[in-house]
Amino acid sequence: MNALGWLLAAAAGWALAVLVSLAGGGRPAATRLCCALSALGGAAALAGGVSSLWWGNSRVITAGPAEVAGALQLQATSLAGVFAALLGLVAVAIAAYVPRYHEPGPGSALYLAVYNLALIASVAVLAAGGVVTFLVAWESMALLCYLLILRHPGRDAVAGGAFWFLALSETGFVLVIAALVILATKTHSMELSVIAARARLVNPAWRDTAFLLALAGFGCKAGLVPLHVWLPEAHPVAPADGSAFLSGLIVKLGVYGIVLFAFRLLPVQPAWTGLITMAGGAVTAAIGILYAMSERDLKRFLAYSTIENIGIIVTALGAAMIFGAYRQRALAAFLLLAGLYQVANHGTYKTLLFLETGVIEHATGTRNMDRLGGLIHRLPRTAVITLVGTLGIAALPPLNGFVSEWLIFQGLFQGFRTGSHLLGILIVTAAATLGLTGGLAIYAFVRGYGIPFLGMPRTRPAGAATERGQPVTGPALLAVACAALALGAPVVLLVLARAIRTVTGVALRPVLLPGNLTVIPAHTDFSAFSPTYLAIFLVAVTAVPLLIYLAGRPRADSVTVPVWDGGMVSFRPRMQYSAMTFSAPTRVTFEALYRPSVSVRRASDDPAGRSGPVHYESEVTPLFLRYLYRPVIRAVEWLADVIRPLQSGDVSLYLFYVFLMILLAYLLGAL
Amino acid sequence: MPLWFARGLRRGIVTTHYPSRPDSSAAGLPTPPAFRAAAIDGRLADRLAEVCPSQALYRDGGVLVFDVGRCTACGRCQEEAPGAVLPSGEFELAATSRAQLVKQIELVQQAGR
Amino acid sequence: MSAAVGGGPRAPAVPASPAARAPAQDEVLAARLRHRVAAQFGRSLHIRTLDTGSCAVCEQEIRLLAAPHYDLHRLGFFFTPAPRHADLLMVTGPMIRAFGVAARKTYEAMPGPKIVVATGACALGGVYQADAFVYGSVDGILPVDVWIPGCPPSPLALLQGLLVAVDRLAENVSGLSFTAGRAGAGGPGEASR
Repeated sequence: MNALGWLLAAAAGWALAVLVSLAGGGRPAATRLCCALSALGGAAALAGGVSSLWWGNSRVITAGPAEVAGALQLQATSLAGVFAALLGLVAVAIAAYVPRYHEPGPGSALYLAVYNLALIASVAVLAAGGVVTFLVAWESMALLCYLLILRHPGRDAVAGGAFWFLALSETGFVLVIAALVILATKTHSMELSVIAARARLVNPAWRDTAFLLALAGFGCKAGLVPLHVWLPEAHPVAPADGSAFLSGLIVKLGVYGIVLFAFRLLPVQPAWTGLITMAGGAVTAAIGILYAMSERDLKRFLAYSTIENIGIIVTALGAAMIFGAYRQRALAAFLLLAGLYQVANHGTYKTLLFLETGVIEHATGTRNMDRLGGLIHRLPRTAVITLVGTLGIAALPPLNGFVSEWLIFQGLFQGFRTGSHLLGILIVTAAATLGLTGGLAIYAFVRGYGIPFLGMPRTRPAGAATERGQPVTGPALLAVACAALALGAPVVLLVLARAIRTVTGVALRPVLLPGNLTVIPAHTDFSAFSPTYLAIFLVAVTAVPLLIYLAGRPRADSVTVPVWDGGMVSFRPRMQYSAMTFSAPTRVTFEALYRPSVSVRRASDDPAGRSGPVHYESEVTPLFLRYLYRPVIRAVEWLADVIRPLQSGDVSLYLFYVFLMILLAYLLGAL
Repeated sequence: MPLWFARGLRRGIVTTHYPSRPDSSAAGLPTPPAFRAAAIDGRLADRLAEVCPSQALYRDGGVLVFDVGRCTACGRCQEEAPGAVLPSGEFELAATSRAQLVKQIELVQQAGR
Repeated sequence: MSAAVGGGPRAPAVPASPAARAPAQDEVLAARLRHRVAAQFGRSLHIRTLDTGSCAVCEQEIRLLAAPHYDLHRLGFFFTPAPRHADLLMVTGPMIRAFGVAARKTYEAMPGPKIVVATGACALGGVYQADAFVYGSVDGILPVDVWIPGCPPSPLALLQGLLVAVDRLAENVSGLSFTAGRAGAGGPGEASR
C-alpha cells in the first residue's frame, strides 16, 4: 500500500475512534476501544510517513470535479513524511496514555472524539494536495485544538488561555490565506504541486510577499517571537495529553507550513528572506529559553522550551534558505535534513515531558516546581523516563537531541561557504546564539529536573505521591523512541537523506554517510561525526571503570548517616534550593529582558524587619505582552469605542444607514 | 611586577623548615611557666592558685598541680612570684591524652604546714 | 581494618590525682590504634576546623598556617570545609551548649577513620567552667585524640600538634616537668623522668 493509502487508513481508524467514543459515552471499555483504534491509526500514520520518506511523493488524488475550487485534493509528500511519522508516534503514545489519565465520563468521551477529529485534521493538513483542502484542514485543526484546550472550561485561566490560542491562530490563518491566495492566483492553479512547478513564473515581489505572509502566518502557529504568546498561556490549562499534542505536533504543523513554502512552493528565493527567517529563529530560541528560566509552573516552562526548540529548527531552515540562494545546494539540503531531524526529536521528547508532567500533576496535585521535590523516590519509573526526555532535550550525548543539534551546528559553522562576508558572519552569529541557548537549556533543564525530582519533598503532597494507577506505557514508548532515534541515527539519516533527495534533488547520501556510521556535513573537508561510535565510546567510558571498581572494592562496613545539612538543628525541606533562586544568576544578568515588578511589604517599619513577616512579590510580565500586545489591544478597544456610537439601537437610524448605503452603491455604479 | 619578582628573589625562601630544623620565631613566643620547686611553699602555692585566671594551678596537699592545658600564658603567676616562676620556653605541647598535660610540682615543706 | 572512630580514652575533665598517673592498659591499646589510624593518612590529610564559640584568635593562628611562612601544604595538610571530605576535625572554643548538636552532626558526617584535635585553652577546659551556657571543654561532646594547649597556640604549636596527630612527630609534653633549675634565669624545663 502506498503512503497515501496508509494515511487514509489512519484517518479511517481515527474516524472510527470518534464514533466509538461518542457512542460509548465515556465508559472505560469504550475509552479503551477508542484508544486502541487511535493507536492503530497512529501506527498507520507512522507507516505512511516513513513510506513517503522512502518512496517519494505519491500521486495527487482529487475527489470531486477537478475544476471546482472546493474539491478535495490529497497527496502524500516526502516533505510531510517526517511530520506524518511524528504524528503517528505521538498518536500511539497518547493513546496508550489516555485510559489511565482521563477520568471516565461524558466529558472525556467528547474530548476524545474532538481529539481524534483533530488527528484527522492534522493528517489532512499534511496530506493536502490543494489550497482549499489545506486551508479547510488547517482551520479545522485550529478550532478542534481550541476545543481540546477547553476541556475544563470552568477552571481558572482556561478560557483565557484558549482564547489566546484562538486569537493568534486566526491571525495566522488570515495571513496564510493571503499567502496561498496570492500564489494560487499568480500561478492559476489550486493544486500545490502545480504551484510548485510554476513558482518561477511569479513576479519576485509577489513571491517574497507571499513568503513573508506565510512566515508570519505559520509563525503564529509555530510560536516564533513575537507571535509566541499563546504557548505559555494555552499549554498549562490544557489537559496533559492535550498539551503534549499541542507541543508535540501542532506547533510542528506551523514548521511544516514554513518548510512547505520555503522548500516546495517557492524553492528559489533571495537570501534576505532566508536571513529574516534565520534571525527570527535565533531570537526566538534565545528569548524562549530565557523566559523558561523564570517559570515555576512545569507546563509553562516546557512551553517556553518548545519555543526555544522551534527557534532552533527555524534557524536551521533559514540558514538552509540562505545557502540555497548562494548555490550551496548540498549545505542547504544538509541543513534541511538536520532541521527535520530536530523536528522528529523534539516531537518525541517534548511529548514525553508533557505526558510525564501530567503524571506528576495527578500524583501530587500541583505543577509548581517549588512545591515538589524528592519525586525520584516516590515516582521512580516516572523519574527514569523523564530523565531520558530531559537528557534528550538538553542535547546531551548520546541521545537524539545531541545528534540533531550537532548537525545543525556543523551546517551553520560553514557559513563562510556563502562567499559573502556579511552573511558568513551573520550565520555564525546565529550559531553563537544557538550556543547560548544550548548552554541555558542545560541550566534550565537541570533546574526543571532537579527541583521536582531530587532533594527532599517540599510539601506533604509531594512526599505522599504514588505511581500506582498512573500511565507509564505511553511515555516509556517515547523514551524508547528517543533512544532509537539516537542509536539508530545512521538509519534515520539514510531515510531522511532519501527524502531530501526527493524534495531538493540533492543526493546527500554518498557525502553524508561514507562508512554508513559516520556523518559528514555535506563537505568532506570540514568535520566528521559518528553518533554510533560516540554512543559506544560513552557507554564504555562509564561502564569499564565502574566494573573495575565494583570488582575490586574492599568489603568495608558502611554506616548510614543523615545528609550533611551544615549542622543545622532543624533542617526543613523548604530550606533547599527553590526554582527561582536556582535560576537567579541568569535572571539577574538578563534583568533588562525580564523587568520584574517587585513589591515588598513589611509588617512594620522596623528596618531590621524583626517584628513580623515580610511579603515579597515579584512578577514578570513578558516584554511582548507589555509593549506589543497590550498597546495593540488597547488600540483595538479604543477603535471599538469610537465606532460604538453607530450602534445606537435606534431602528430608524439603522434604516437611514441602509438608505445611505444604497445611495452610495448607486453613485459608485454610475461612475 | 618585575620589581616584586626581583625583591622576592633577593629575600629568598621565607618558609620555615620546621619540623626538620627549629624555627627562629619560636624564641619570642609566650609560653607556659616553669616553676622552681625549691622556692615555692604552700602559702605561695595558694597565692599562685588564686591569681591564675583559668584555674590552671591549684594545691593538692603537698603538691602544686599545674594543668598545662588550662594555661593561657598570661604571666600573672610570674608577676606574683618572679623568682619562683619563669617562662619555660616550651611550645611543643601537644598531648595524646589529657592526663599528660597535668603536672605535679613538689612543694617545699615548711615547718607547721 | 574496620572503620575506626576517634580513639583515645576519655581523659577526665578534672586532672587525675597522682596515684593514677601510670599509663593504663587501655591507654596503650588506644595509642596503638591511633598509630594505625595515623598510618592510613600517610602524607595527605584534610582538616576541617570547627569553632564552638571561641574568640576567634585561635582561628587567626590556624589561618596563618596557610600563609607562606608556615605553609602547611608542604607537609601534606589541606583545609576543607566539607566534613565528608575531612580526616581531621580541629575544634576550638569552649563548646557552648547551643552548638552541641551541630558539633555532633559535624563529627558524624565525617567518614572514618577520623581524628579529633582539641585546640586552645578553651577547648581543653581552661578559661570557662561548665555552666548553663557552655560545656567548658570539647571533651564532653566529641572524643578527642590530641590536645593542643595555648592561648592561642602559635602556628608552630599547631603544626607540632598536627604532626603528632598523624604520628610524624613523637609527643613531647609528657617528658616535660615544667620545673626550673636551681640557679639562673628561666630556661627550658629539664626532662626529669
